[in-house]
Amino acid sequence: MYLNKSIKEINELLKNKTIKPIDLVEEAFQNIENNRELNAYITLNKEEAIKRAKELEDKEVDNLLFGLPIAVKDNIITKGLRTTCASHILDNFIPIYDATVVEKINEKNMIIIGKTNMDEFAMGSSSRTSYFGAPKNPWNKEKISGGSSGGSATTIASRDLPFALGSDTGGSIRQPASYTGIVGMKPTYGRISRFGLVAFASSLDQIGPMTTNVYNNALLLNALVGKDEKDLTSVRREDEDFTRLIGEDIKGMKIAVPNYFMSDIVSKSITSKVKEVIELLKSKGATVDYIDVDYLENAVTLYQIIAMGEASSNLARFDGIRYGFSYENPENIEDVYLKTRAEGFGEEVKRRIMVGSYLLSGENAKVYYNKALSIRDDMRKALKKVFDSYDLIIGPTTTTTAYDLTDPMDDPSKSFMDDVLVIPVNMAGLPGLNLPIGFDDNKMPIGMQIIGNSFEEAKIYKLASYLEKELNLSLNPNGGEDNE
Amino acid sequence: MSNYIPTIGVEVHVELKTKTKIFSNSINGYGEMANSLTNVVDLAYPGKAATILNCKIRRIMHFDRKNYFYPDISKNYQITQNATPIGYDGYVEITKSTGEKKKVYIEEMHIEEDTCKSAHRGTKTLLDFNRAGVPLIEIVTKPCMSDGEDVKLYLEKLRELLSFGDISDCKIEEGSMRADVNVSIRKNESDPLGTKAEIKNIGSISNAKLGVEKEIERQTKIYDAGETFKPQTRRFDDKINDTVLMRVKETGNDYRYFPEPDIPYVILTDEMIERAINSIPMLPDERREKYKKLGVSDINTEKLVANRSLSDYFNTLLDEKINHQIASNLLLGDISGYLNKNEKLITDTTLSKERFIELVNLIDNNTLTSKNLKDILDIVLESDKSIQTIIKEQGIENITDDSEIRNIVKEIINNNPESVNDYKQGHDRAIKYLMGQVMKETKGKANPKMAMDILTEELN
Repeated sequence: MYLNKSIKEINELLKNKTIKPIDLVEEAFQNIENNRELNAYITLNKEEAIKRAKELEDKEVDNLLFGLPIAVKDNIITKGLRTTCASHILDNFIPIYDATVVEKINEKNMIIIGKTNMDEFAMGSSSRTSYFGAPKNPWNKEKISGGSSGGSATTIASRDLPFALGSDTGGSIRQPASYTGIVGMKPTYGRISRFGLVAFASSLDQIGPMTTNVYNNALLLNALVGKDEKDLTSVRREDEDFTRLIGEDIKGMKIAVPNYFMSDIVSKSITSKVKEVIELLKSKGATVDYIDVDYLENAVTLYQIIAMGEASSNLARFDGIRYGFSYENPENIEDVYLKTRAEGFGEEVKRRIMVGSYLLSGENAKVYYNKALSIRDDMRKALKKVFDSYDLIIGPTTTTTAYDLTDPMDDPSKSFMDDVLVIPVNMAGLPGLNLPIGFDDNKMPIGMQIIGNSFEEAKIYKLASYLEKELNLSLNPNGGEDNE
Repeated sequence: MSNYIPTIGVEVHVELKTKTKIFSNSINGYGEMANSLTNVVDLAYPGKAATILNCKIRRIMHFDRKNYFYPDISKNYQITQNATPIGYDGYVEITKSTGEKKKVYIEEMHIEEDTCKSAHRGTKTLLDFNRAGVPLIEIVTKPCMSDGEDVKLYLEKLRELLSFGDISDCKIEEGSMRADVNVSIRKNESDPLGTKAEIKNIGSISNAKLGVEKEIERQTKIYDAGETFKPQTRRFDDKINDTVLMRVKETGNDYRYFPEPDIPYVILTDEMIERAINSIPMLPDERREKYKKLGVSDINTEKLVANRSLSDYFNTLLDEKINHQIASNLLLGDISGYLNKNEKLITDTTLSKERFIELVNLIDNNTLTSKNLKDILDIVLESDKSIQTIIKEQGIENITDDSEIRNIVKEIINNNPESVNDYKQGHDRAIKYLMGQVMKETKGKANPKMAMDILTEELN
């Protein structure tokens, strides 16, 4: 058992040849096997991962991430490794290139263990729209893991391995991280190349790290960022070490709490836990103010218009012609399009494509989409303005803790309401992180969201790691010991 | 057939000469919306084009997605500019065969990606992805042309301007310039515009003219017969030299345009626009004017303008005190012959500006005859030696020794008494014959001007 040790310890063991990468890989696969009923994975990369681990035996251990196993959400393209987006329409799709983030983790000599379960095309908030069935919450197998990055959250929470990649369009990293008690970061829009991330809503999507602790999260983010010529929305920034502020004192930090985040849309057990944290922060010398932020209550409506509009166009490429599932013996080209898409996509995806197409049709584009973009810009400005006076914004990540897998799915707007607190961050392109801060009466994890100004991820990690240390929670659902 | 008033508008797609296939400019991500465009290479082309076409240039623009399901676009949407075309409200001027000058108004000019080339083979459609994603500009005129000649002159002018502007190679045959022509006719100016037919697949400028004429004829016949037709797309078939129906246009195409979220907004700064304008080479009409002022004949002027590389070379000589007509003769004559034969550009030869000026002056002062030139041209264009050195080395230096020529002239006069007599009788032809004899005797080496002077002197 090595994977529950700290990354620095594992690195030492690899360096002094006490262990080899293959030991870590085999341990990860054993863990996944033990937790198979959690349904965290769609495809395992066993053969290739073992081969890769053996190749690494001859290489110098040149960085902290060397030889470490990582899980990748199944909407991130992996060369030669099936990438389904949890959809029937791509269930036979084997990509011929790697996403930029995959190239980056390969450069660090990390080892991809498998592709994690998710909502179909990341459309959902409980991973129950997956063609392969929903993953289960390691804290209670009757509960959802959240979504759409539910598989990545599940495998990290259950301590299968230390690192996973997720994607976050409207909370899809932070919300499942909150439900499963792990650390999940959605970085600033443009921080990480989206090249090779199957697009859901291009102006909102962002890839991010999901880990058991704050330090690991910052470390993985170091490896993922950077301008990419293949993604025009990626941004060139000076190199920085996101772990650099970890361990610093938070005395004098100015923190804002939007009143909306603490209103009665959030369950009492959660707000009271967040209030405890606020009191702790005050006692440690931070300033915490409750403030009003305009437009936050519009976020879900705006999100539905913008995300569904963009999705209706982004998913048009899945037409059965070049790759993926294709309806057999069509009558003509129209028939290929119609039947492939009718059979290939699941209900939620089809519903969103239809609504999105409607929202962009004719005059509707002006009435809905363009109007939403303009209000979105106002909301972005309102949120950005907070950072004129404050270092960070905090609040709950979710309105409830994880609910039952059997809860009804027939109210589509309910699933959006799960993400009411996380969506504004995507709308404004800001970085946001979920930090576990405790449990409710049923021993289900409660998460707190820390939101920073654009490109100020390091400041988020500073506060998160400080709280992580102060709270010193036991976050292993299997009850084992946790190391940093 | 009755007379109708035709109204014609043209949409031209031009492939840009950019090296990259995709939109490779970039600015900051969403939320920052800063004005820093980090890569303007590709934008220089449409920026130049808009300027050349006298368009206003939009400072803040974005791209849009045009959504439609069709196999020629693999994403099932095309990246284009619907809401914010980079150029608008422009014009180009054409001169009709009557001498009348006419402005063809440009409605707008936008950037978009090219689609696949589809080839229809019976019931199958073949797709060529090579040109997919190549940046294009589309130039849309107002419906302001009224006959085939207008269309022909407009397309010729556009091709000349865009190729001189280094924006596109404008090869209609290869598809780097493609024109779609919209034609409608109506009885009176006061009537609303008639039903429109769009002609696609036009393979040459002359076919565009022919297609328009055929289409006007076709529509006239329909109206004369008291019939109507539906808006439609036709293609020009060069086997039958006529247009044929492709499809009747569906009404209410809904392309669900929205701002392309994968490409940030582009904000053009004054510096960027200035840089684009400064990179525009001298355009054809300005060249024509300058050449004529320097005494270059009309024929040579047109020939030079038609040959971009020779014209550029000639432009380096505009301020030199040389005989520009001789210079143009030289470039368009023997030098062109050499370049064509050897498949070279003038810039591939050793003919520096300084050596070319030397050559022009030697011809101008008759030191070098056209025969001499032919003898040494290959060496002039392939070595770095000075023209004087080449002349000496090749032993073709003209006989400029007065006494040597005078001796030969005297001998010729003595040997041709009849011709001398004819000359004295006033027959001008005779002196040409005698001059020919002098050149023959000297094997063409006598300085012709000097020889003529001496001959005239001796005869009188």
